[in-house]
Amino acid sequence: MKTLRFHYHMELSFSEPVHSHVYTLKCLPVTGAAQRIETCAYQISPAGRVREGRDSFGNRMLYGTVEEEHSLFTVDVNGTAVTDITAPCEEQERADCSVYRYQTSLTRPGERIRALFADCRGRAADLSFRDKMRVYTEAVHESLRYEKGVTDINTAAEDALALGRGVCQDYSHILLSLCREERTPARYVVGMLMGEGESHAWVEVYDGGRWLGFDPTNNVAVEDGHIKISHGRDYRDCSINRGVFTGQARQRQSILVEVTET
Amino acid sequence: MEIELTRRAETVNELLARYGVKFGIYKNNEFKEQLFPFDTIPRIIKKEEFAYLEKGLKQRVMALNCFIRDIYGDRKIISDKVVPEEFVYISSGYLAPCAGVVPPKGIYTHIAGIDLVQGKDGSWYVLEDNLRVPSGASYPMIAREICRKSSPDTFETYHVEDNRDYAKLLRWTMDYVNTGGHTVILTPGRYNAAYFEHSYFAEKTGAHLATGKELTVEDDYLYFVDYSGRREKVGAVYRRISDEYLDPMTFNEESVIGIPHIYDVYRKGHVALLNAPGNGVADDKGIYYFVPKMIRYYLGEEPILQNAPTYLPYYEEDMRYVLEHFDDLVLKDVAEAGGYGVVFADRMTAQQKEDFIALLKREPRRFIAQEVIDFKDIDIVENARRVPRKADLRAFVLMVDEPLVWKSGLTRFSRDPDSFIVNSSQGGGFKDTWVLSQ
Repeated sequence: MKTLRFHYHMELSFSEPVHSHVYTLKCLPVTGAAQRIETCAYQISPAGRVREGRDSFGNRMLYGTVEEEHSLFTVDVNGTAVTDITAPCEEQERADCSVYRYQTSLTRPGERIRALFADCRGRAADLSFRDKMRVYTEAVHESLRYEKGVTDINTAAEDALALGRGVCQDYSHILLSLCREERTPARYVVGMLMGEGESHAWVEVYDGGRWLGFDPTNNVAVEDGHIKISHGRDYRDCSINRGVFTGQARQRQSILVEVTET
Repeated sequence: MEIELTRRAETVNELLARYGVKFGIYKNNEFKEQLFPFDTIPRIIKKEEFAYLEKGLKQRVMALNCFIRDIYGDRKIISDKVVPEEFVYISSGYLAPCAGVVPPKGIYTHIAGIDLVQGKDGSWYVLEDNLRVPSGASYPMIAREICRKSSPDTFETYHVEDNRDYAKLLRWTMDYVNTGGHTVILTPGRYNAAYFEHSYFAEKTGAHLATGKELTVEDDYLYFVDYSGRREKVGAVYRRISDEYLDPMTFNEESVIGIPHIYDVYRKGHVALLNAPGNGVADDKGIYYFVPKMIRYYLGEEPILQNAPTYLPYYEEDMRYVLEHFDDLVLKDVAEAGGYGVVFADRMTAQQKEDFIALLKREPRRFIAQEVIDFKDIDIVENARRVPRKADLRAFVLMVDEPLVWKSGLTRFSRDPDSFIVNSSQGGGFKDTWVLSQ
C-alpha cells in the first residue's frame, strides 16, 4: 500500500484559433477494488460549461463545449491515491466481465498473434493463473521493441506485432488479444505511473474473483506504482480526450504526468 | 380479377416520379437517384389473414423489445443459457455504451420493419427483423394516395383499409416517448438513400426535418436551432442515421453527420431517440435464430409466426446438417444487409463452394444457413403482360404502450424472374399492400 500524489497535465495547442470546441474527457481516476482516490480536483481552461457523467464502463467523464475562440486548451488534475489495496470486487463489476471476453477490431488476432498464443499457451499449460499471466506478459514484452511514432491510435494488435515495434497501447492490445483468445476477461487500462512521463496503458484480467493488473510494456505485475484512470475493451473506450472543433487548425497534444510518493 | 387501377399504371408512375418518389444508391462511389418502379397490381391480404399476421407480429416485436432491455440490463437470457453470450457480444449491433442505459418508457423498438414471405402453401415465414432504421413505409403511403387519385372507382369497389394513417401512428409513437420538447426527424441529408422518406414523414407528421448541424447540445439538453437562430428544446428524435454516426463523442469519432454529446443527453433521460441506439443487437442475423426461443422465454407463449428453417453452423449438429445439405441452402453473412452477402449454394461453382466451405469452417459464427423457401409468386405487369415474380412483405410495427401493426406494408418484388432478392438497392420494385376491411 502506498499513498501517491499525482498531477496530470494535458495540453492541446492549435495552429490557428478554433471555436465551438466540443470535448469529452476521461481523465479522473476512480476509487475501485485496487485503489482509493482520497482527493481529486480538476481545472479545464477554457472550460465552457462542464458537465459530469459516467460511461457504461464506470469511468468518470467531463464534457462540455467551448464556444469562444482559443488556441490552447489545457486540463489539469491533481490528487492523491492510495494504491494496492485489496477491497472486495463489487458485484456489478463481476457481472460485467463478459463483455471483456471478446475481441474488438483493435485486438482481433491474425496469424502472428495466433502463433504467439499457441506458443505461450504451450509454455503456460501447467501454471497457476497468475504465473500463466506472467508468461503471457513477458512474451508480449519480448515481442515488441519500444518505439514511439511508428504506430498510431488506430494500429491493431496484429499489425503492431507484425511491425515488431510500438508503444504501451500496442503492448496492451496484444496482451488483450492473447487473453481473449482463451476467453479470459481482459480489459484495457489507462493510468499513471510513478515518476514523470506520459500517461500509460496496461491490462487487467479477471481471475474469477478479482481483476489483476499486468503491464506488458514494463513486464511487471501491477502493484502499488500504478494509478488507474479508466478501463474499457480497448484504447477507443478509454481515450482521455475526444473532441471536435470548428477551424482550419492542426492540433498538437502533449501530456505530462507526475506521480510521487507522499 | 381485373382491377381498374392496373389500367392507370402509366399515370401512377408518372405522378410518383413527379412527387420525387426516389431512392438513392451508391455505385462506384457515385451517388445516383433512381425511381422506385411501382407495379399497380396490389398484394391483397384478407381481413382474417391479416388479423393472424398482426397477432404474430405484435408478439414478435414484444419479445424483441424484452430481449434488448434484458441484454442491456440484467442479461437473464444469457445466464439462463437460452442465448450463448458470444452471439450477443460479437454482434456488430451490440453497443457496449448502451449497457445500463434505459430509454424513455423502456422502448427500444419504436419502429420495426419485419420482412415476411409467403410460401407456396400459403404459410408465412419471417425472414428478417429490421430494427435499426427500417425504411419503406412512405412508398406504399404515397402510392396509395396517387392510386386513389388516378382511379377513385377502384377504392369504391374494394374495401381496403386506409393506410394513410401511418403518419398518425408515427406521430403517436414519437409523442409517446417524448421527454418534453419538439419532435425532430434527423436525416443525414439529401444524399441518403431514403431522403424522400425522411422529408415525406416530416411533412406528414408535422415534425421538424433537421440535419445534425441544426441540433446542438447544451447543459445536457438537446436544442433545435432554426434558420433564424431561435432555439427550441427537443424531446424526441426520430433519427434516420445509424448508431455509429449518431455521436462522435461516444461512437465513431470520425462522424460529421452526428451531434456531439446527444448520447449523453439521452443517457440522462432528457431526450428520446427512435429507434433506441444499440437495438441492432436484436436484428443481427445470428440472433434471428433465437427469436422463437425469446418468445417462449419472455412471454411464455408459442410463436405464432415461424422463422424460415435456419441453421447455425456454430452448433456442431447444425454444421453437419449444413455440410450435408449444402446445395439446398441459402447462406447469409450475418454482418451484411440490403441483400448483400446472401449466396445460394446451388448457384456456386465447384471452386466457389470449396472456398466457401473452408471459410464457413474457419468462421462458423459469421454465417447462418436457411432452407430456400419457395415463395408464392405475385403477378406484375411487364410489357403489358402479367408475369409472376418473387415478392416479400415488410410489415411495420410501431410501439407505444403496446405494439401497433400498420394495416398495409411494403411489398417488394424482384424484376429478375430468376432472383429471390427483392431489395430496392438491387433493382427491385414495389407494390401497394391492401388489407381488406371486410
